[in-house]
Amino acid sequence: MKLRLNKTVAVVASSALLLLAVPAVGMASASSAATKPKPKPTYVIGYEGPLSGGNLQLGLNMVFSVELAINQANATHKLPFKLKIVRYDDQGDPTLSPTQAQSAVANKKLIAIVGPAFSGATAAAEPYYQAASVATVSPSATRVTLASSGWNNFFRVVADDGVQGPSDANYIVKTKGFKSVYVVNDGSAYGSGLASAFATQATTDGATVTTATVPGTAQCSDGTGSATEYTGAATQAVHSGASALFYGGYYCDLGLFLGALSSAGYTGTIMSGDGSDSSALISGTTPASAANNVLLSCACAVSTNKAFNKGFQNLSNFSANGATYAPEAYDATNVIIAAMKRLKKITRAGVVAALHKITYKGITKLIKFQKDGNIAGSAIYVNKVESGKVVQLGLE
Amino acid sequence: MGAFGHYLAAHFDTLKSEFWALFVGGVANGLLYGMIAVGYTLVYGVLRLINFAHSEIFMSGGFAGYFVMRYFVGAGAPPAGMSSVGLIILGVLVGGLVGAIVATVLERVAYRPLRKRNAPKLAYLISAIGASYFLFNLAGKEFGHLAYATPQPYINHPVFHIFGAPVQMYFVIIFLVGLVMFTALDRVISKTRLGRGIRAVAQDAETASLMGVNIDRTIAITFIVGGTLGGAAGFLFGLSYGVVYTMGFVPALKAFTAAVLGGIGNLRGAMIGGLILGIFESLSLVFVQAAYIDVVAFGILVTVLLVRPTGILGERLGRAA
Repeated sequence: MKLRLNKTVAVVASSALLLLAVPAVGMASASSAATKPKPKPTYVIGYEGPLSGGNLQLGLNMVFSVELAINQANATHKLPFKLKIVRYDDQGDPTLSPTQAQSAVANKKLIAIVGPAFSGATAAAEPYYQAASVATVSPSATRVTLASSGWNNFFRVVADDGVQGPSDANYIVKTKGFKSVYVVNDGSAYGSGLASAFATQATTDGATVTTATVPGTAQCSDGTGSATEYTGAATQAVHSGASALFYGGYYCDLGLFLGALSSAGYTGTIMSGDGSDSSALISGTTPASAANNVLLSCACAVSTNKAFNKGFQNLSNFSANGATYAPEAYDATNVIIAAMKRLKKITRAGVVAALHKITYKGITKLIKFQKDGNIAGSAIYVNKVESGKVVQLGLE
Repeated sequence: MGAFGHYLAAHFDTLKSEFWALFVGGVANGLLYGMIAVGYTLVYGVLRLINFAHSEIFMSGGFAGYFVMRYFVGAGAPPAGMSSVGLIILGVLVGGLVGAIVATVLERVAYRPLRKRNAPKLAYLISAIGASYFLFNLAGKEFGHLAYATPQPYINHPVFHIFGAPVQMYFVIIFLVGLVMFTALDRVISKTRLGRGIRAVAQDAETASLMGVNIDRTIAITFIVGGTLGGAAGFLFGLSYGVVYTMGFVPALKAFTAAVLGGIGNLRGAMIGGLILGIFESLSLVFVQAAYIDVVAFGILVTVLLVRPTGILGERLGRAA
């Protein structure tokens, strides 16, 4: 099967089979194939991501979207080819992804990959895809350096980690007009990175910035702090007089801190990043009302597209609402299909070239790639907690 | 003056404006530490053993209180008035009861068999750590690894102000419960026959048993008393910070510090150590970031121990209190 390049080869091969093998079974299959008028060639779009292990859910979110996009494309019957999905399970693990990439590259029908899902896995797999000119469009790999590694076949439909902090700062200072911001980080690599990127941009934008490190608690994650410290830290935030507070950290500790802030009488605006963008923030905040009106940014979109949401639910049996990176995976697949449609002769390299030029209106955003494969334009969404739910407000 | 002088002057200005707000929060934390520390100190007094599974007694009380609040308050609006008072008393009682039950089981399963075989002290320590791991992993398995917010049995609002600093309802609850429990405990230990038994065992277990004190019973009661306060503290902590299977670790470590600070084995020392630790931690926020708060806490501990190796009050349960 691997040798069949396209329809021509397939026909040649089956004719050869017909000549060599005379039995009736061979005759029957060959003659039935011949009566069909010009069957469409089949191409494969692969998905590489976690399809087993601890990150399975994230992989399922994406793979159902890929399947949905492919099913829809096939169902229109307008394409000059048929599409098929092949799943490559790397468990999100950089040590497994090279093997999966080699297996994908060896599949001659495979034209492009949606994924890899995880940054580490992407970094490990990309050299193999690059060597075979296989375009990879990741819905979720956000490590900054992936775009600067010189892989011209690398694309992603999600903003990278370096974009969020500055984009949040612009939103708070420029869009919302806050002139004084209290910036808290949880002491984690993620939280302090995000908070310091925010603080730098907010200062550049002309705001007065006060920073504080309030370590994440042992009860939430692997932090070193204690929830009892949040009482004093919240008092200080109130006394700083800042009208907005940015928290770099994760939802569990933010939940504790929100309770302390509400106890201390804080009334300003509160914003946090994707580490806190979870409905678990609301269930973990005491009292739950303290989470109201908190702004949460994320590079991930929540789909408001009814057709997608319905199709996704039917296929996967779970709701698209809360299925992180599902809409991105849908867009990634569709942008590959759109690129294939533009080509007279579909080749792997042709798809890479077409993706560099394409402008496609996805369900999450307008998809247009920069030269390095990053998405062009603003791609950070801002969400808000409203009466116990995380609601998407739109792009920042 | 110089740069350091300016640094201090600026921070003392902040201290002046924030002092009372931080002080109130510090006293509340200190009372919680003290309530947990009592469990360490009592057990140390009678067994010469650090009960490292005490953090899980605290956690059990937290979960017990959480389930009671979830049952009675649920997702509805927080009640007010007398029903709030009733619910909080119920929470403290159930938290304390479950804490006492877990402490009793712990004593029976993890410590008594070792005591009967005259095991070396290190065996107790390993047994304690093992029990702690078992209990919090069991809680993680049974209740899930997520953090849960406790439904609020009251509306948290400033009740009154001390020098301009608001005192929240939550703090008032901790003050009242803490005061009642400390007073009652102090009375029991110093005035009653039961307390005399505990003190006698602490002073000299062998002689106490010759004098007719039932050692097994006294030790069991000591665990019950410590477990009650620890479980109640777990409920009070969970009221504000929610519950999760690993919630016991850090507060219990702080409380252990407080017990050593006040003089391990000394009941009043545990309460005072807790208060001092809570207040100093909170006030130190003016000078250092929250990230360094533990440095301050342990700095205080080391300094005190350098001057008074037996802690602030320094005497044993048997002689003092």
